[in-house]
Amino acid sequence: MALMMAYLVRHYIFTLTVLRKPQKHERAVTVGKTPYQPTVSILIPARDEEKVIRRILQRMTELTYPKDKLQIIVIDDASTDSTGKIAEQYSKMYGYIKVIHRNEKEGGRGKASALNTGLRYTNGEIILCFDTDYYPQVNIVEKLVVGFADQKVGGVQGRVVVLNEPQNLVTRLVALERMGGYRVDQHARHVLGLVPQLGGTAVAIRRSLLDSLGGWDPSILAEDTDLTFSIYLAGYKILYIKDAESYEEAVESWKAYRKQRRRWAKGHMQCAFKHSLKVLKSNNLSLKEKIDGLLILNVYFMPILTILSWIIGPLLFLLKPMQPLNALLASLLVSIYSFAGNFAPFFEVGIGAYLDGRTRICWLIPLLIFTCLYNIVICTEAFTDLLISKISRKNHLHWDKTVHSGNGNSYIMS
Amino acid sequence: MKENEWMIDHLLFGFSIGAIASYMLLSSSFVSNESVYMLIIFNFLFVSLTFPLDGTLTRKIFMLLIGNIIGLFWNYLFSLFAYTVAYYLGESFNTLYIILSPFVNLIWIVSFWSISLTALASSENRKVRLRLDN
Repeated sequence: MALMMAYLVRHYIFTLTVLRKPQKHERAVTVGKTPYQPTVSILIPARDEEKVIRRILQRMTELTYPKDKLQIIVIDDASTDSTGKIAEQYSKMYGYIKVIHRNEKEGGRGKASALNTGLRYTNGEIILCFDTDYYPQVNIVEKLVVGFADQKVGGVQGRVVVLNEPQNLVTRLVALERMGGYRVDQHARHVLGLVPQLGGTAVAIRRSLLDSLGGWDPSILAEDTDLTFSIYLAGYKILYIKDAESYEEAVESWKAYRKQRRRWAKGHMQCAFKHSLKVLKSNNLSLKEKIDGLLILNVYFMPILTILSWIIGPLLFLLKPMQPLNALLASLLVSIYSFAGNFAPFFEVGIGAYLDGRTRICWLIPLLIFTCLYNIVICTEAFTDLLISKISRKNHLHWDKTVHSGNGNSYIMS
Repeated sequence: MKENEWMIDHLLFGFSIGAIASYMLLSSSFVSNESVYMLIIFNFLFVSLTFPLDGTLTRKIFMLLIGNIIGLFWNYLFSLFAYTVAYYLGESFNTLYIILSPFVNLIWIVSFWSISLTALASSENRKVRLRLDN
């Protein structure tokens, strides 16, 4: 109950924060005027991505960042389709694109493992990562790297926007979640000096720091969250640049949604076990960063607590009836908290959509109840899997790859 | 600071109206306690999250009052339903009613709030279009 209240208040503060005039929130990061242009290596891990790889590689050739300071590395992770061949074609045409092929023995071990392979071939001061289903702005590199002029900055995260939003109900609901997550949540955390989170894509990391951390941890399914906390624990900060947009091809079916979220949930829970205590003990994090960090780390346990409260609450009520007001408020808080997907309450999602000028989509907010209920199932399943693998000491965790259809292409061409 | 003055004015006015409406509901003997608590929560969320947005104060107050009316009507219908079901199923349904009540209420709260956002934004968009046309 107290935990749910803490999350609710936190999201309420985030929403109120972004409702204040936006210009007050912008940090003095002016793109284009700075002479700071470090060398940049972009890593693109790809496994059976023939339907989308051409789109991202074409976009890479259109980037406005000076090409003599740019290196693009495609990690063909033992693809069985023509992903590698397509990447090779681009490599032949553009000297700054390099392809690394992993064989069947090396490949298929997850994104972190592929990124570590790619990292060995990079020479940039800043490392950027993009998933193959993403389509970034042409000037995204300039926008992301400018933050690194501050030596305390270890990572920079850009904004993710759903590309194939009009496709169906699932993509529309995912788009709503992203609006709440990036337009409000990440932005507020950046403004309030809390812990903006690195996502797995549209992300930039300081190379020297990454080397000192030993690259990505291949045993963790949420390598982005793991890196976020490793960076903070090492005494560096993360910036969120909301104007650095990258467009993603969202999952198109409930089945794919479940697979993807289950992986995220497991990875997040792994990070919670790995970092929670370290965050509490660390001298490199302020008190508010510690509180926010712990809330982020443990967020995927909340749907499980929600279902437990729904079971235990009525039982307690029947055994020892509470005052009606207490029962009502307890139940209300649970409901408000868990009404929307991606662990953002409905008001956070709505304000995100409003600030984006996407008001028609607000009509779908009540439908987020389905993702909320679905996430309860997904997180419980993920927790059970994780528990089994911990008890049996066997690694049951494997990388469930999200399949991309390439349907997002039509939204770019039109 | 001046930029935010209207926002503070709107919020103060909204909270005053919300407080008056809540007081009237609390004093009324026709409205159940559950409904009143829900409407107080609705008023608080609606004012704090909608009144800082662009849009005229009149429109916002109008929507707040409409929200209260819809809330009352919704709760009236729901309690009628609950009484009917309790008549057949017995007193044990009252427990379920108390537990379900906030969840059922959130359905109209979230839906109404979402529509209000759209209404506020569309009025602002119309204003921008008119400015551009002239």
